[in-house]
Amino acid sequence: MKGILKDKKAFLIFLLPALVFYLFSVFYPIAESIRFSFIKWGGLGEKKFVGLQNYIHLFQDKVFYTAFWNNLVYLVIVVGMQILIGLLLAVLLTYLTKGVAFIKTLYYVPCIITAVAVTQLFRSMYATQPEGIINQILKAVGLGQFATSWLTNIKTVLVCVSIPEGWRYTGMYMVIFYAALISLDPEICEAARIDGANGWQTLIRVKLPMIKEVLLLTLTMVLTGALRGFDIPFILTNGGPGNVSELMSTYMYKKAFAGNQFGYGSTIAVFIIAESILVVCVLKVLFTGKDEREERRIQKEQRKMRKLERRSGR
Amino acid sequence: MKKKALKTVLVVTVLFFLFIQLYPVVWLFLASLKPSVELATKPFALPDAPTLQNYLDIFNEGNVFRYMWNSLKVTVISIILIVALSSTAGFALSKFRFRITKPIYAFFTFGIMIPVQITLIPLFCFYSQMGILNSSFTLILPQVGFALPLSVMMFVSFYSFVPNELIEAAVMDGCSTYGIFARIVFPLARNTVITIGSMYCILIWNDFIFANTFITDNKAKTVALGLRDYVGAFGNVNWGMTFAAIAITILPPMLVYFALNKYVTAGMTMGATKG
Repeated sequence: MKGILKDKKAFLIFLLPALVFYLFSVFYPIAESIRFSFIKWGGLGEKKFVGLQNYIHLFQDKVFYTAFWNNLVYLVIVVGMQILIGLLLAVLLTYLTKGVAFIKTLYYVPCIITAVAVTQLFRSMYATQPEGIINQILKAVGLGQFATSWLTNIKTVLVCVSIPEGWRYTGMYMVIFYAALISLDPEICEAARIDGANGWQTLIRVKLPMIKEVLLLTLTMVLTGALRGFDIPFILTNGGPGNVSELMSTYMYKKAFAGNQFGYGSTIAVFIIAESILVVCVLKVLFTGKDEREERRIQKEQRKMRKLERRSGR
Repeated sequence: MKKKALKTVLVVTVLFFLFIQLYPVVWLFLASLKPSVELATKPFALPDAPTLQNYLDIFNEGNVFRYMWNSLKVTVISIILIVALSSTAGFALSKFRFRITKPIYAFFTFGIMIPVQITLIPLFCFYSQMGILNSSFTLILPQVGFALPLSVMMFVSFYSFVPNELIEAAVMDGCSTYGIFARIVFPLARNTVITIGSMYCILIWNDFIFANTFITDNKAKTVALGLRDYVGAFGNVNWGMTFAAIAITILPPMLVYFALNKYVTAGMTMGATKG
């Protein structure tokens, strides 16, 4: 992306509005959050600088640990549904010959519905008064003893708040995987088949490694998305009963906007952002294979050499 | 023979998941046609006597139109800003020869990793100090800010397909830099504009977290907040009205989606694969 225009004034006129907007709406809040995380403040009155006290409090806060573990469970369920089911469906679709576009369009519908609507839908499915569809089905097939009040039962509530989120975006990830899979060169799969690989082997050994990039990127998206999961759990149970289905961001929200602990809330927010960035970095390292790292090192060396040559040439 | 059986299994599986994906949505529309009594006794059967009563109730109450108007305002202004800011910034970052473009581009893309929750507390404090909570501006600012990384990226990647020779030729012909953007580059980016517009139209219309934080006044409520308001006697949710309201308010994004679904999927998949 090397450009050719050199008009400095025009460059600034084109770039600055967006840059200023971006700095103010995204980076100013980040800086403020970090600053807030070192103070104690109830929304009104004086802001008191307390150093690391909020962070110390954070690591002693039992509810925070609950929220952290819940978030991991939530993450596993959401990732499982979105990546595994999404991938499975995408692979199945590649074998279909007719109606793929139509099916893709319909699969996608849940992700264009607002979270509030999704939540209300699931709330009525989980309901006991009137009996929701899940309990009705369980009773109809003779598993009535498993029917329960899904959202108040402390054993089921966490799973119940995770499923709608997983359900909602499965179609989107399917579309992504499908696009990646059909963009593969059919000759390679053909070659694998001639070499005696069956369908399963072709998929695992040939196709999946070839869409590694896409897998990495979607995994990053799902993971960071799940770490910041908020809408559906917040609307469905708001972390309840008690803190049984509390996630990190619902806890942050509660502390800041219901408990007026803006300082402590910001500390949790900073933790969430640090964790998201960490996950992205770890995934990048994991997925960058040895070869690629080697390649990059060589490129770097070559660039250095060229620079040296140029300098000595002068 | 075996192949045929496999094929059947395949089709059945795909249809089964399709059913799971769609059933709740279809059911929602059916449920909105049921009288409240029927919803309470047998909520999941087909409606015995379909009625538009729920819709009439919604129309009579009239709040839903105010919610939709508020959402529309936020959505339209945000999209105009997103397109204006990112198309120009994308141009600056891809067609100018300065060393600084690369780090700034990286700086924009970094934003994709930032969770929106981080802005809630600082922006809330800022807005309440300025006394502007409950205005559309409170939602537009973060919506546009968080849309910029991806949309700048999409414009940059599109502009990279516009050959530099074309721009050189325009310069030769005496076209100014602004003219190049307005008359040559931007008109070419029509598809990118539609993609970004349709995708963010749906995302911003559906936003819950910003609205829930910055809007408390009934008059300023957007669709996502309004849907939680249909409460009947005894403090229970009035499901009939809720479903009708949901059905009405998801229509605009549905229309956008079915009209422009290629662009929407392209945008969202791009959002995923570039993340």
